[in-house]
Amino acid sequence: MAKVFIYPATSLILTDMVTRFGHTPLSSAVAIRERIQTAGLESVPLQITPEEPKKGLRWAAVEVPSGVRGRMALYGPMIEECEAAIIINDADMAFGCMGCARTNELIKFLIRQKEIPILDLTYPKDETEGVTFVAAIKRFLSELEVKQ
Amino acid sequence: MTPPVRIAQLSCGPDYSGVQQEINEAAAAVNGEIFFPDVALKDITRDFASFGLDVRSPDLKLAISRAKALVDGRVDADAVFIATCFRCAEAAIVRNELRRYIHEHSKLPVVSYSFTERTTAGTLLTRMEALTTIARRRALLARETQQGITLGLDSGSATTKAVVMKDNRIIGTGWQPTTEVMKSADEVITHALKEAGIKREEIQAVGTTGYGRFLVGKTIHADLIQEELTVNSKGAVYLADRQHGPATVIDIGGMDNKAISVMDGIPGTFTMGGICAVASGRFLEMTAKRLGVEITELGPLAMKGIGRRVPMNSYCIVFGTQSLVNALATGSTREDVAAAACHSVAEQVFEQQLQEVDIKEPVIMVGGTSLIEGLVFAMGELLKVKIVVPPYSQYIGAVGSALLASGFIKDD
Amino acid sequence: MTDYQPAHVGTVTKYVVVESFTVTPADLAVRAYEISQGVMIKETCFGLVIMGREEEVNRITNEVRKLDPDHIFVKDRGFPPGDPRRCRANLGGARPGFHGIEYEMTILPYISHALETLATRDAKTVPAPADVRTRPKLDIYTLKKMIDAQEP
Repeated sequence: MAKVFIYPATSLILTDMVTRFGHTPLSSAVAIRERIQTAGLESVPLQITPEEPKKGLRWAAVEVPSGVRGRMALYGPMIEECEAAIIINDADMAFGCMGCARTNELIKFLIRQKEIPILDLTYPKDETEGVTFVAAIKRFLSELEVKQ
Repeated sequence: MTPPVRIAQLSCGPDYSGVQQEINEAAAAVNGEIFFPDVALKDITRDFASFGLDVRSPDLKLAISRAKALVDGRVDADAVFIATCFRCAEAAIVRNELRRYIHEHSKLPVVSYSFTERTTAGTLLTRMEALTTIARRRALLARETQQGITLGLDSGSATTKAVVMKDNRIIGTGWQPTTEVMKSADEVITHALKEAGIKREEIQAVGTTGYGRFLVGKTIHADLIQEELTVNSKGAVYLADRQHGPATVIDIGGMDNKAISVMDGIPGTFTMGGICAVASGRFLEMTAKRLGVEITELGPLAMKGIGRRVPMNSYCIVFGTQSLVNALATGSTREDVAAAACHSVAEQVFEQQLQEVDIKEPVIMVGGTSLIEGLVFAMGELLKVKIVVPPYSQYIGAVGSALLASGFIKDD
Repeated sequence: MTDYQPAHVGTVTKYVVVESFTVTPADLAVRAYEISQGVMIKETCFGLVIMGREEEVNRITNEVRKLDPDHIFVKDRGFPPGDPRRCRANLGGARPGFHGIEYEMTILPYISHALETLATRDAKTVPAPADVRTRPKLDIYTLKKMIDAQEP
């Protein structure tokens, strides 16, 4: 089982596909779950405290907006941990954890810096594209197994 | 207890900066309640396309859709709070355009703010208080004449001011630098009462404003304790006799600046703050000290100089002071340096704050710094308008408080 | 700032989304309740939210999925069901992430169709998608053909 970073990290489709085909998706929900299940200082709604943007300095400099650095505190460790990635390149309607375009640009860049298998896709627009999309994911994930 | 004021939040980033809790707490402290206007995906797609600002960040698209839902009346709110990350250019454009859009197309009061992870509830409190006041206390703010005998006190960060008003006239004033908050308040009140020839017990209602408003208000049993954004707006249009129609109020204070876009005496949009003290009265105080003149002499001195001759446009009070020292050391005249300092403050306020409110005439400058004519002149040059400085402009908060307090006089 | 004491530590929460002509969210709930042991199940307009120990939640999602494997999808959620920090009733509007799911729901029918197709067809026989990161430029011969086709 490989740890696969999914982009958008909030994706229902990618979470399901990666799990369905036998791997572990690294998603926003897991990072948020970690925070809301850890005792500390109260910071609604996500239990992201003002300390998180400071942790984010590891991935983005201080002149980068706090929202980017706070999000990077979620994604940075996952990017470092992942062994493969699937990126949907036209994910323009993923909000919240994926709601900041600047963070999203940085996430994609950092993934591409890693020497890991990456599958680039766009959302399917019809049934035919749907088949191509799912087949590509299935093939990509089965090849990960072979490599491992 | 009255139901909370419903404040619609349009934002990108506060929950990821760890400051949503601070926003919620600031709102709750003034009986406000933050909520997020409900829209569906189809609304977002449609509203984003029709608004026409082609941003990339999905959360900004969502903010645009939520703003449209408020303006179109699909979602009810009492006020709007727009917040995005400091230093994000994309968000700054959206924040400005949404503020303008809501201001022009609805009657909702709006405040916009750019936060960092260091933003606290305390920083946001005055803004939230103004927002809830405008939303909730329109009847109070509708008052146009002062009645009976009232006392207004403005406990500011730099100076404390008091006025006694009777039958729509100012009959006594008191002014001094703030040292100990209560001591300064007591002294200016005593002075104002003495000048007015009024005894403390004759005062029928009291209003307080400024940084020390809660402490002083509690101690002297004020009837009205109110933040300075609404009070100063009211005071400005009252003293300038421009109570109807649009106006812009600029108050360059000792610690922060206010720029308020007013309609019929009620603030519509406003900004408060200033990144650095170089854009505040403090810098002018330092300049006066360095030039060896009283702050009251700085204005006339500046009017004799030509600011352009001295380079001074720093964003930082330390570097600003350095420019000042350098200019004097290289032979610039005191007049030119004074003029340059005034121009520098005006320019900082113009660049940092006035871009966020719509400048509509009359532009009324108030607060102690409005007496520095070099500063008023520089601001007028930048805005290309003739600036109105009403009489008693340095007592603006105290006058506004005394005016509004008369709404609390009990009929015996 | 006040101290924060988390609830439901050590649990996971998952969405089960159904996009099916034959299985409804209510059907899912009935099946899930039948096999649930110590987990919390909440029925929603799009399916279920299930919270409990990871093994238990996985066992239930795997079972429920069998009802209509190609039309039932599962996703992690950070918050337990009905958490006031994420509840629409408290926020006034849906949490932002919901709109992302709303968007992907419009694509699920294509995914379901693909899963059905690939049940009988080897994925290796499906051509790879076009390279999405380089937009191919129009070659000159095709352009010439298009120009010729436009002439009267």
